[in-house]
Amino acid sequence: MGFPIFYLLFGYSLLFWFAQASSWNMFTGYSGYFSFGQGAFFGVGVYTTGVLAAKRGWPLIAAVPVAGILSALLGLGLGFVVFRLRKLQGEIFALVTLAVAFVVAAIARVSSKIDGGSGIALNEVKLPDFLGSFPSMMFRLGLIIAVLTVFAAATIQHSRLGWGLFSINDDEAVAEGLGVPTFRHKMMAFGISTFFAGLSGAVHAVQISYITIEDVFSIRIPLFVIVMSVLGGMRHWMGPLVGATIIHTLTDRLNRAGDLDLFGGNLTLSLSHLNDVIIGLLLIVMVLAVKDGLWPRLARRRWAALAAFVLGVVAARIWIPDMSPIAKFVVGELAAVLVLLPPPALVSRWSSRSGPPNTPADQPPEAASV
Amino acid sequence: MTLYGQAIISGVLIGGLYAMMSLGVSLSWGVLKIINLAYFSFILLAGYGSYELAATQGWDPFVTVVAVVPVAVVAGALLQLFFEKVNIGEFESLLVTFGLFIMFESVASSVWSADFRRIPSTANPYASSSLKIGGFAFATPQLSAFITAIVVGLLVKFLLDRTYFGKAVRALAQDREMARAFGVDHRRVAVLLAGLASATAAIAGVFIAMSQALFPGLAVEWFGIVFPVVILGGLGSTLGALGAGVTIGVVAAVASVTWGPSYAPLATFVILIATLLFRPEGLFTRKASV
Repeated sequence: MGFPIFYLLFGYSLLFWFAQASSWNMFTGYSGYFSFGQGAFFGVGVYTTGVLAAKRGWPLIAAVPVAGILSALLGLGLGFVVFRLRKLQGEIFALVTLAVAFVVAAIARVSSKIDGGSGIALNEVKLPDFLGSFPSMMFRLGLIIAVLTVFAAATIQHSRLGWGLFSINDDEAVAEGLGVPTFRHKMMAFGISTFFAGLSGAVHAVQISYITIEDVFSIRIPLFVIVMSVLGGMRHWMGPLVGATIIHTLTDRLNRAGDLDLFGGNLTLSLSHLNDVIIGLLLIVMVLAVKDGLWPRLARRRWAALAAFVLGVVAARIWIPDMSPIAKFVVGELAAVLVLLPPPALVSRWSSRSGPPNTPADQPPEAASV
Repeated sequence: MTLYGQAIISGVLIGGLYAMMSLGVSLSWGVLKIINLAYFSFILLAGYGSYELAATQGWDPFVTVVAVVPVAVVAGALLQLFFEKVNIGEFESLLVTFGLFIMFESVASSVWSADFRRIPSTANPYASSSLKIGGFAFATPQLSAFITAIVVGLLVKFLLDRTYFGKAVRALAQDREMARAFGVDHRRVAVLLAGLASATAAIAGVFIAMSQALFPGLAVEWFGIVFPVVILGGLGSTLGALGAGVTIGVVAAVASVTWGPSYAPLATFVILIATLLFRPEGLFTRKASV
């Protein structure tokens, strides 16, 4: 492919987050069962590649599907126990999934057949050479997995399974009473979700190239998929994609921006440290103020958002011409987010002459105040 | 045999520290219906505060409690005021405080870097000292944390069981709307209780700074200790937290002596999962209690 290597790697990372966030959201976003355990399934994927491809000499292409299946088996096993218990809903489910990530990490650390605490180097792995050089191979693999994952997320959303999951999200007891096979639906969605999480993790292992327990099972994977999906909106397959795009481009630019000198060099502010502050703040603001995420608002204010985006990019081009294209994109995207942030009630009052909004976006106040 | 005896003693003592760390989370979750991950940050920041005072100002590590706890109480109370203001649900609280947790962790790593920070032994004579009774060693930081945990636990228990404030807290925990109808000022009780919970977290932080090296990633590791203790002890139960802390401490210590230190978290989580499956209300509570 004729792209510069930097854009291929940047694109791969973006596609990786598309796959991770979509796979998480197709279960949690639709069903409302909040999983903090994405790291466990991602980790199973990463370590399957580590063990099969690096230690046993399997080709990467053969290890990836096995990783997906193993991850799905873990998900189904967990679901089989957890979904049978009425009590393990809501926040208790969230903590159990968090615990599963710790347990998988502990097992990998203890077992010398998996990791044994020393990490695994993946530079000897047999890569699929017919897919081109390393960057373009990663990009192609990432693209295939992201497309499959997003396709699955969109298909589930518009299928009977999706409707069942949304009814579980709204009220599980009522859904069960109306004949939704809640246990089967949750198992299916969780199985598919964890399958793709493992698949994507298996490819990502090659990108990390040296895998350690601490990095693979860190809090970053669950944190990022949660923030991305909450930001974009969890009830539509596009939500995680919007969230992943915003978070990934923003954090990438902040990481590369280096230090910012303030007051004539008297105070240096490391922008990469700001990253986590921004991520945390975004999560808080979105949960408290924009419960549905950006996607429903983007669908309703698409022209305003597009105009703000174009305006932002053009302004960035005029003021700082030597900015990289990704930085210009970030400026435009932040301008668009600003347009989306004001709550619908405020916007409909302001633009009341153009007719009432089609559907009220937020819940009625009595539901929100409970 | 001596090995196991020593493991059980260390487990019991460290269990006191675990109980102190968990008490705030347990009270907040059980009574205020807020799963506050920010308490993990409070423990960490209190530890760093204690480290800073002891290492650079030469304070005695025990004395740093005087400075660290009031700050934590104010911070915890302000945070609770904010939660009352935005009227937050149990589940949103988990996400919002997760955001706060990430922010605090990033602040800690930009101020103190990701390196290990330990109070130098000249400023902290307690770290290496221990009380020896009949061939068993009682490490001073753990022993004092254990005694403090018992004292604080009993004080909180007394406060909740015997005072008017405690009555209001228990009323809130049982039925928030009804308590409000009977004139319990929810906001005031919640803010006071959050301040109390933050104080216990800060005390735990001081003992941690005294006994080990600090680094920002430590707070995440505590998830694996505190949540099992909270669930095992029963939400909002003070004595339950003490009992569960000691149980987890002993199990982890025995597991690490028997199979090796990496098995300690595994054993802890087996207990957590088993508790959730068979007795989700906790080992140390009767079904109907708070």
